[in-house]
Amino acid sequence: MIRTLRILAANPLSLLGLTLVILITLAAIFAPWIAPFPTHNGAVVDFLNNNRPPSSHNWMGTDLVGRDIFSRILFAYQISLTLGVVVLAIAVPIGTMIGLLAGYIGGWLEMVLMRIVDVFLSIPPLVLAIAMMGVLEPTLTNAMLAVTAMWWPWYARLVYSIARGEREEGYVLAAEVIGAGAGHIAFREILPNCLPAIITKMTLDMGFVIIIASSLSFLGLGVQPPTADLGSMVAEGARYLPDSWWLTVFPGLAILVAVFGFNLLGDGLRDVLGVDE
Amino acid sequence: MSGFLRLLLNRLGISLIVLVGVSMLIFAIARIIPGDPARIALGPNANAEQIAKLRAEMHLDASLPVQYGHFVVDVLRGDLGTSLYTNRPVTQDIAQFLPATLELVFLAGFIMVAVGLPLGILAAHYRGRWQDHLVRVIALLTVSAPAFVWAVILMLLFAFYLPLFPIAGRISDIYDIERTTGFLTIDTLLAGNWTAFGSAVHHLILPAIALSLSGIGQAARLTRANMVETYDKPYIEMAQAYGFFPSRIARSYAFKPSLIPSLTIIGLDFAAMLGNAFLVEAVFAWPGLSRYGVAVILRKDLNAIMGTVLIIAITFLIVNIIVDLMIAFLNPRIRYSTRGTS
Amino acid sequence: MMKNTALITALCAATALASPAFAETVLRLDEVAVGELDPAKASDYADSILMFNVYDTLVLPAQGGPGHTPHLAASWDVDGATYTFTLRDDVMFQSGNKMTAADVVYSVERMQALGAGLSYLFAGVTAEAVDDTTVTLTLETPYAPFIASLVRLPIVDMTLVKANSDSEWGEDFLSGNGAGTGAYSVTSHNPQEETVMAKSDSYFLDVADVAPDTVRLRYGLEPATVRTLIAQGEHDIASQWLPPEVVQALANDGAQLLTESGTGGFYFKMNTQKPPLDNVNCRLALSAVFDYGTAIQMIAINDEVSGGSPSTGAIPVGMFGANGSDMVQTQDLDAAKAYLADCPYDPAEMNLEISWIAEVPLEERFALLMQSNFNEMGISSSITKLPWALFAEQVSTAETTPHISQLFVNAVTGDPDTLLYGMYHSSTPGTWQSPEYLNDAEVDAALDAGRSATSDADREAAYSALNARLMAIAPTIYGFDRQSVFAASNRVNVPALSDPAMAFGLDGMGFSFRLMEMTGE
Repeated sequence: MIRTLRILAANPLSLLGLTLVILITLAAIFAPWIAPFPTHNGAVVDFLNNNRPPSSHNWMGTDLVGRDIFSRILFAYQISLTLGVVVLAIAVPIGTMIGLLAGYIGGWLEMVLMRIVDVFLSIPPLVLAIAMMGVLEPTLTNAMLAVTAMWWPWYARLVYSIARGEREEGYVLAAEVIGAGAGHIAFREILPNCLPAIITKMTLDMGFVIIIASSLSFLGLGVQPPTADLGSMVAEGARYLPDSWWLTVFPGLAILVAVFGFNLLGDGLRDVLGVDE
Repeated sequence: MSGFLRLLLNRLGISLIVLVGVSMLIFAIARIIPGDPARIALGPNANAEQIAKLRAEMHLDASLPVQYGHFVVDVLRGDLGTSLYTNRPVTQDIAQFLPATLELVFLAGFIMVAVGLPLGILAAHYRGRWQDHLVRVIALLTVSAPAFVWAVILMLLFAFYLPLFPIAGRISDIYDIERTTGFLTIDTLLAGNWTAFGSAVHHLILPAIALSLSGIGQAARLTRANMVETYDKPYIEMAQAYGFFPSRIARSYAFKPSLIPSLTIIGLDFAAMLGNAFLVEAVFAWPGLSRYGVAVILRKDLNAIMGTVLIIAITFLIVNIIVDLMIAFLNPRIRYSTRGTS
Repeated sequence: MMKNTALITALCAATALASPAFAETVLRLDEVAVGELDPAKASDYADSILMFNVYDTLVLPAQGGPGHTPHLAASWDVDGATYTFTLRDDVMFQSGNKMTAADVVYSVERMQALGAGLSYLFAGVTAEAVDDTTVTLTLETPYAPFIASLVRLPIVDMTLVKANSDSEWGEDFLSGNGAGTGAYSVTSHNPQEETVMAKSDSYFLDVADVAPDTVRLRYGLEPATVRTLIAQGEHDIASQWLPPEVVQALANDGAQLLTESGTGGFYFKMNTQKPPLDNVNCRLALSAVFDYGTAIQMIAINDEVSGGSPSTGAIPVGMFGANGSDMVQTQDLDAAKAYLADCPYDPAEMNLEISWIAEVPLEERFALLMQSNFNEMGISSSITKLPWALFAEQVSTAETTPHISQLFVNAVTGDPDTLLYGMYHSSTPGTWQSPEYLNDAEVDAALDAGRSATSDADREAAYSALNARLMAIAPTIYGFDRQSVFAASNRVNVPALSDPAMAFGLDGMGFSFRLMEMTGE
């Protein structure tokens, strides 16, 4: 762990990624304390100071009802990161389990499970999430549900392809010979070999989940106002281009910076852990 | 050729199974909608009598398997129902809007390959040097923002501040082009109208770039990774030892083998683009199927939602079959050992 | 390289051609919603624009004042509940078919059979062709403003529809084609792009040469797009749904502002069946705490033009029964406290659900304003964004209807009955217009009196009584009287939307393209 971090830190790009991720995580956690206008997360109006360009008072300007955009971005990071963590925390175990079952046990189970995975993967992921959000009510929980539904098949396929390869490896056969149970082999022998790939993909996927979630809310299908959310801030602000550019540009850049951080970190991890693309 | 045919049949067979699964999934999604689908479909001014009539027409009182059966029969007959949004048959809407989306996605795919592959080759060629790092940063940046952010940024820069490109629509108002195929670039050429063709391309460029950006990053990184792998192969080292020009090595020896994985990623990125088209079309008021998709989803227009998702899934399956066949064509080994789906 | 040069040449040529040297004039405007071409299904603004230009009606609203003038009908007689119309005999449909009484009968029956749009206006009407140019419409029950309703009865070319469709009412044909007598005919219709219309050369009235030759009604453009297109000279009239900031920016760039007013308002409708809003004092408290002044500031474009004028009561200024424009409603915190003291519910536990319609982003700001007003009184509340379709579904029962719903409502025929009856009569609960679920005998009586009274004085009295009662029981917070503002280029003059003496007093009628003038700029 320490060694991995040390190698990571030696690469300036990975170091930048790590720094961004840590900064954004801290900013999100401590948003209520570090935001210049901590009440602006919710329904606050200040029509005397609405739609103002960036200034020393409001670093990124104010929105149409007078709320500080910088403060709202900090709170929006809370939503983005929570969503990412929850989605992965559900999707990864489910996908891993299914991938392991299909890959190690094989047979008709492999056939059925992987066809189901194929069905999910044959609808473009964003389209699936959009369709689900279309019929569900747009809430944070439902957004998590929709994104999770489109996410687990990717892990199922990743773990499946590794597990299928490992099935014939010497150490697995050896374990079978000495009479280890299927569960033991799947979780103790094969799973550890999938971990580097899973961890790398998870880091990269934090970025992608943020992208997908913000895309949903950009279309009005995600987290609802007045809760601050990056995607809906961009969508709302885009109506007022080019005059009130700050409404759109700063939330857009906020997404870019966060996702870039996770991507740099994931990319570095991939090199360090020796995972193939 | 028999191996090729066998592969084609195999892929078609699997696609058919997947398609049945997709139809079940879509049907399931459409039935978890909160509220009464008939009431929603009829809109705010409907009375109880009309709702009861539509419920009967939609077989909503039957059991779920029976409802699914009706759905499949209707789909096979080419009947996707009527859209609440446009008050027209969904098939008519799809026929009118799909070409605009495909035109956009195809051009974006072309840009992705035309820019992403050379960037990847460049990075592989100069691996470890500054060019490589630059490509890496560019690639990571392009995949780090959702398509709608790129669309808004491009629009702000090149349509608002520097009005080089039009900000909406598919072609200038002044051309009256007969829409034979629905692909305006083709229709203008059929009409032999070059200036109209220019206008259609002009309108396509900005949205297509916005759509292709994240694909460019993916394609560049994958091409680089595959080429680096082949560069390490003995025959390349041999060629280098013989003092072949680096450009010739790149072109003749390293590039071809890396084409296959690149084709795979193009197939995958096509899916991403079909999804991202929902975002880009929204920004550029592009009158395609994706914009239609968003509109019908916001209106809870069930027939249209199901039709749109079904058509997108079918489009994606077809593209993947084509990609698989192309890969098989390039690599005989795959051709003759019928490739699995994973 | 050759290819590149060809492309660049083509692009340059396209740009060069875009600055037109055509004699033909083109008017470009946009609407948020997709225009419905079938006139029997027309209900919203875009539909109305299409209907008023492709089709004609028996009468037209008078310009610059109350009343109606003959149009397809040369004259009419009223005998109790029977209206006899003498049609003009010189009117041709765009197809070349002659317009006759049979077409009028077909149009009425088609409306009733489809039961969509505003067909409820013609429920219970029996149409009969006496001869080719005489038609009678008989009502089941007397309805004073029936002539006003006729502006919602477009006359359809029966012969053309029957020749082009197998079905009785030709829905498939009319959803994509025009079949009217109107001054403009449909050239093409794409629900996601635009409807293109061309000036008809056989209109029965004179149409000035300066009226636009071609009209492009575009759909679903983003405000930023409209703003840029107008600035670049590629768009002429924006929809009324542009946010005030964008209209302001356009006005600062020299755009003209067209207006239309007097037929509707912006309302915060309270669900009177749901605690705590089932109590009149609680409702009165909310009415008093709302900051009307700030709301008016929010919709102001500049010193002269605004998206609305202060509300004076339940009925917009200019209609029967309206209060004088000096009786402006204002926030009154002392009154609010007094009412709240008589309200049996605990403000902190009210948890009022304030909804706003997702398609109208301006409403989010009103929701936020209202929430912060409520906070000042310690009244708890939450904000919900509802897409229109979902809202329409929720209002079908009182339990699922939000505490407070925001709505723009207007009188679809210009008559107060079509604004107020659907909102407040106890026989029409649970529609999108009536999330109040009001059930009040006094209100019902006044509404019925307004319908059946035959003289203007009697109607004025009935609606005055209604206004007073609605203020006393406060089912609604009457936000402001709506004025629609359209930013427009200087390439077009629209007297009906800029000169009060030419205004129609009916939403959308100002968009009669035949009365517009292209300036040639």
